[in-house]
Amino acid sequence: MLDRILSIFTTVGQEPHGSVWIVLLIGFIFGVIVQYTRVAEFEKIAGFAMLKDTVVPKMLFLAIGLASIGLYIMVEMGYAEYHIKPVILGGLIVGGILFGIGMAIFGKCPGTGPVSIAEGRIDVMVGAAGGIFGGLFFTLYYDKFKMIMGESLGKPTLNTIFTGHEGLSILVFGIGLIIISIIIPLRELDDK
Amino acid sequence: MIRKMPWWLGGIFMAGLLLFAFSYIGAGRPIGASTYVPYFAGILFNLDPKEYPYLQEVHNAGAWEGVMLLGALAGGFLTSIFVTKTFKFTLMPPAWKKYKNDSVKSRLIWSFVSGFLLIIGARLAGGCTSGHFLSGMSQGAISSMIFGGVVLVTLLITGKLFYKSEADDVR
Repeated sequence: MLDRILSIFTTVGQEPHGSVWIVLLIGFIFGVIVQYTRVAEFEKIAGFAMLKDTVVPKMLFLAIGLASIGLYIMVEMGYAEYHIKPVILGGLIVGGILFGIGMAIFGKCPGTGPVSIAEGRIDVMVGAAGGIFGGLFFTLYYDKFKMIMGESLGKPTLNTIFTGHEGLSILVFGIGLIIISIIIPLRELDDK
Repeated sequence: MIRKMPWWLGGIFMAGLLLFAFSYIGAGRPIGASTYVPYFAGILFNLDPKEYPYLQEVHNAGAWEGVMLLGALAGGFLTSIFVTKTFKFTLMPPAWKKYKNDSVKSRLIWSFVSGFLLIIGARLAGGCTSGHFLSGMSQGAISSMIFGGVVLVTLLITGKLFYKSEADDVR
């Protein structure tokens, strides 16, 4: 098992961009932002599900709004490229329903969960064990799950839908999300 | 030092981090955080990738996210010790006690079940809050907007049905 664990670093080192250190740095900053803003708290995610806390949607929409405009400019200038996920209707809808139920009850998502574990949350560690079994189950019965997921309907984006107005559509989308993030009223659930 | 970063500053930093990850000087790829789970499961249960096509599919992304996760654990741990000063071993979040029940057993069982559902859901959809919401919607991807809409509606319905609307006063 140890050689397989060590091979993780070899695999990452062979990626065309970004050394192992850069990937670690990206993760480190991710952990700091998530911890420092407290969005990994149960009170923040389950609190949003109860509509008693709005920090998560405000921060998420602001980040997406800003990043969508920045990324479009970067792609245009040749500093980055898009990596679009395909539309697989069954997978997105059934997956989205299971994910939404899990997120509301767990009060975590796969990115915030580890940050919570690093803060000493034992209940989240138990949930992560559930997640590992989920990953195992999915791997073992992948052929069955594939039938739920359905065929890929391609990789449409705002750019492919609004051909000829790519920049404008992203700008409207980005600014719209930034405005939404500002007008959602700020509510915070006490985590004491 | 201020113990909490405001949401707007967090949003700005998160956007910056996402752009750095996408850029060629960064990692040239989006941030994701659910592919590493089946990848780790494959290692833990010693499954041979030759027999399981899914493990081959997630080989590169799973390893990448595994390394990123190591960084996130370190960043989260150090911040919780030195900045937010919130590191503490706990079994139950305060709001679970207020809006659900005061049984540790109930919280642990529900954690396990919801963790299981979360990963099955993310793997069916091909992404999670990081891969679909943050990275996907920032690219204007329609797949991510469908996922985001379904998750949002389900999250709010579950929140309404699963928890009590009034807090218990028991302390």
